[in-house]
Amino acid sequence: MNEQIRNRLLLGVALVLAAIYLFPLYWMYVTALKTGSAMFATPPKFLPSDPQWSIYAHVWESRNMGRYLWNSLVIAVGAVSLIAVLGVGCAYVLARYRNVWVDVGLFLILMLQVLPASLMITPIFVGFSQIGLLETPRFAVVLAIAAKSMPFFVVLVRAAFMSVPMELEEAALVDGNSRIGAFFNIVLPLARNGILVSAILIFMQAFGEFVYSKSMIQAVELQPASVGLNTFMGPNTNEWNNIMAYATIYVTPVLAAFVLLQRRIVAGLTSGALK
Amino acid sequence: MKKILSSVTDGKGFDIGLVLLPLAFLFVLSGLPLVYNVVMSFQEVDMFSLGSFARPFVGFKNYVDLFSQPETGPILFNTALFVSASIVGQFVIGFGLALFFWTNFPGASWLRGLFLVSWVMPGLVVGAIWNWILSGDFGVLNFFLREMAIINANIFWRSDPNYSLWAVIIANIWLGTSFNMILLSVGLSGIPKDLYEAAELDGATMLQRFFTITLPMMRSTIGAIVALGLIFTLQQFDLFAGITSGGPNNSSNVTQYWAWDLSFRQYDFAKGATISVIMIVFVMLASVVYVRSTRHEVRG
Amino acid sequence: MTLQIELNSVNKFYGAYHALKNIDLAIEKGSFVALVGPSGCGKSTLLRSLAGLEKITTGEMKIAGDSMNDVPPRKRDVAMVFQSYALYPHMTVEENLTYSLRIRGVSRAEARKTAEEVAAITGLTDLMQRYPRELSGGQRQRVAMSRAIIRHPKAFLFDEPLSNLDAALRVHMRKEIRALHERLRATSVYVTHDQIEAMTMADHVVVMRDGVIEQQGRPLDLYDRPANRFVAGFIGSPAMNFLPAKVAEDGRHAVLDFGRLALGEGLAPGTAVTVGIRPEHIRMVPAGEGDFNVPIDSVESTGSTTYVTSATQPELTVVENGRGALRSGDVVGLAIDPAQLHLFDGDGKRIEQTHSNVGELRRLQSAETARPLRIGV
Repeated sequence: MNEQIRNRLLLGVALVLAAIYLFPLYWMYVTALKTGSAMFATPPKFLPSDPQWSIYAHVWESRNMGRYLWNSLVIAVGAVSLIAVLGVGCAYVLARYRNVWVDVGLFLILMLQVLPASLMITPIFVGFSQIGLLETPRFAVVLAIAAKSMPFFVVLVRAAFMSVPMELEEAALVDGNSRIGAFFNIVLPLARNGILVSAILIFMQAFGEFVYSKSMIQAVELQPASVGLNTFMGPNTNEWNNIMAYATIYVTPVLAAFVLLQRRIVAGLTSGALK
Repeated sequence: MKKILSSVTDGKGFDIGLVLLPLAFLFVLSGLPLVYNVVMSFQEVDMFSLGSFARPFVGFKNYVDLFSQPETGPILFNTALFVSASIVGQFVIGFGLALFFWTNFPGASWLRGLFLVSWVMPGLVVGAIWNWILSGDFGVLNFFLREMAIINANIFWRSDPNYSLWAVIIANIWLGTSFNMILLSVGLSGIPKDLYEAAELDGATMLQRFFTITLPMMRSTIGAIVALGLIFTLQQFDLFAGITSGGPNNSSNVTQYWAWDLSFRQYDFAKGATISVIMIVFVMLASVVYVRSTRHEVRG
Repeated sequence: MTLQIELNSVNKFYGAYHALKNIDLAIEKGSFVALVGPSGCGKSTLLRSLAGLEKITTGEMKIAGDSMNDVPPRKRDVAMVFQSYALYPHMTVEENLTYSLRIRGVSRAEARKTAEEVAAITGLTDLMQRYPRELSGGQRQRVAMSRAIIRHPKAFLFDEPLSNLDAALRVHMRKEIRALHERLRATSVYVTHDQIEAMTMADHVVVMRDGVIEQQGRPLDLYDRPANRFVAGFIGSPAMNFLPAKVAEDGRHAVLDFGRLALGEGLAPGTAVTVGIRPEHIRMVPAGEGDFNVPIDSVESTGSTTYVTSATQPELTVVENGRGALRSGDVVGLAIDPAQLHLFDGDGKRIEQTHSNVGELRRLQSAETARPLRIGV
């Protein structure tokens, strides 16, 4: 078979597969633009005949989304900063040495990585309430997310550091730099991409985090967008176009960032989880 | 003093400092809660004793009570079903897609990466979308199934106890398939091409090549992926919150949602802690499998 | 002569593994010293200890008279050229060169001027704004060298700097590094596993094995008088032939499986020895005219040189210039100058031989067996 025809054919099949797989996303975007009656039409309309663009402004206003997204942002930025400050150094050391202690440390970190948040929230909630951390609930959530996600970050960033040759750092030492200087001048700039990608992944996780926020943040004005969406979806809701508009506003920035950085994110992710 | 300072700038002190601080942080925020969880599972905890550390110890009472509750058995069964069905679904579809994209045509790697959007989206949003897709009367899934003549009458995915768990499983398979596919692709691309060329010269058919080369070469990757799938599936909470809330009547409830529900809906923190302890032990066992199968990476 | 580097009974342990065993080494200022040995012999560990990248366990290490035991690498004032070159990939050539100067607080303008001077020497002037990934292997090698030169350090340390280059470029860079050394006269320690590099470049060669210095000295001294079987086999290419032998009844001949060889001076009859002969010191003559006859197993010719291997046990290798009409299965005679023989005792140590009668033997040979076998064209 002709190489070009084969490639076209495969690409066509791939596009169909992608279309099927990504249909739920499409359905979210389409539903958001439908009117109340179009939404419940049988058979369902797959192209919006009368797109309701005003729905976004309406949902934004009525659900007070600015505040929710701001809280999500505060929590995500806080968690990523804390994780980055603490995790980068840890990952660096675990990448540089090969001995029993490093193995033990890695093992502990991998074990912490797997603890489900919904199981850890009970002791964390009780403990935090006892030491008064729930007075500042967003900070409490930041701490909890940092503890939950840091192991993942460390594993990914460690892989980034391992790809920086040891000799470069040694060359910097012989050239007259101190350990700290070599770390900041040589190692950090070279691992920068890997660190950034890992931080973005952690940011995306924290931006959509739900369990901790739902459990620890009672005050509605401090809740993030995930909790807001949960409140929006009552048990017998039929405002699906509004809910999908909310979801659209919530995830579109995340999706845009992902599509832009896709190649790097996929590479960073796979280097840490396997190999 | 000078020695310590120079150790920080030039020696091991630098490394020890870098690693001890985060480890201490993790110890306080993950290690201590873990211990506290176990302690609470042996205590009587209610709204009044929540604020004090001196709570009465009740031995194994929480564990005994938990297992004498009528819903415990079904929920444990649900958990097992949820986990195994999700892993099988994610793995089979993921492997199929990975093999397809492995044929490597222009645009393959970019399109393949695009699938991962399901994995980076907030879980609650995924739950909301599937909640809508799976809706009984107006859900688009029922429409497709009817059109394809697979069903005659609408399935009430979320409110029919026979289907409610499967509603979450379908959403979870969608969520996790892309991750499985990406990791399996990495494993596939790690198999040297000349092995296939050698097998072809030896006269192996495509199917024989798959079973005699692909599968054996992928063994450690598959082990890691199944273990990771187990870990992620046991962490899945948002989909339950977004689709069924464990209902109706616990028919779609699983332990990780139930533990939260006990603590934060029924304020029975002791029971919540008890079920958490049991599940954490399970997750830990799964992670040992995972760590073992990626050990060659850990030790390099 | 002043000593620039001194090592006194230096030991290095990795856990229970003894990597360096009682190393004593004195390196004169301005000399070019090669550390050579098979992989795992400890030569790289020794070099890295000099740089301060490894900490020695016991012993004393001095550079320019100061003890270096507890001094971190950055305060040792040595420069190192790594096997992988270790060029900073995120910096241009110029930034790579000036990195060490900038750390020491030299102003940018001055650092740049120095870099340009060095670049002029090493031929990098046109490449200053390139990144390492845009350079060829040889150019990278030159950047690594320049980065070391720019600092005028107390010592240059080279860790197998040529092993990533192809054969032709390696020969070229060998000369270039040597020429650079003649020009700068900086103390240099050069680690290599390639004895030809060591022999051609160094003033002083240190042969190591299993963490021990087996022998050190001037290159040709090592070639002419190897202290033991290991050094004898390691230095020289193709490797020296070793033949087990016994000293004859008269004490003046070694008895081999396939013949007898005259010895320079008397040894106790019956002593088991190993006779070493370099391939280039054996001459092939018509059968019956040499010291003994051997059948030929294989003949390999590179065009300019022919390597002949005998079908004996152990086999003998002979190197001759030119190409031969010899074939596998032919029988030739081998003539060996007793003055070129090396003798080793049961422990592999060299047995020193003085050849009072060498002159006489040479004369005898030229008179009697002077009909060398023509294998050339």
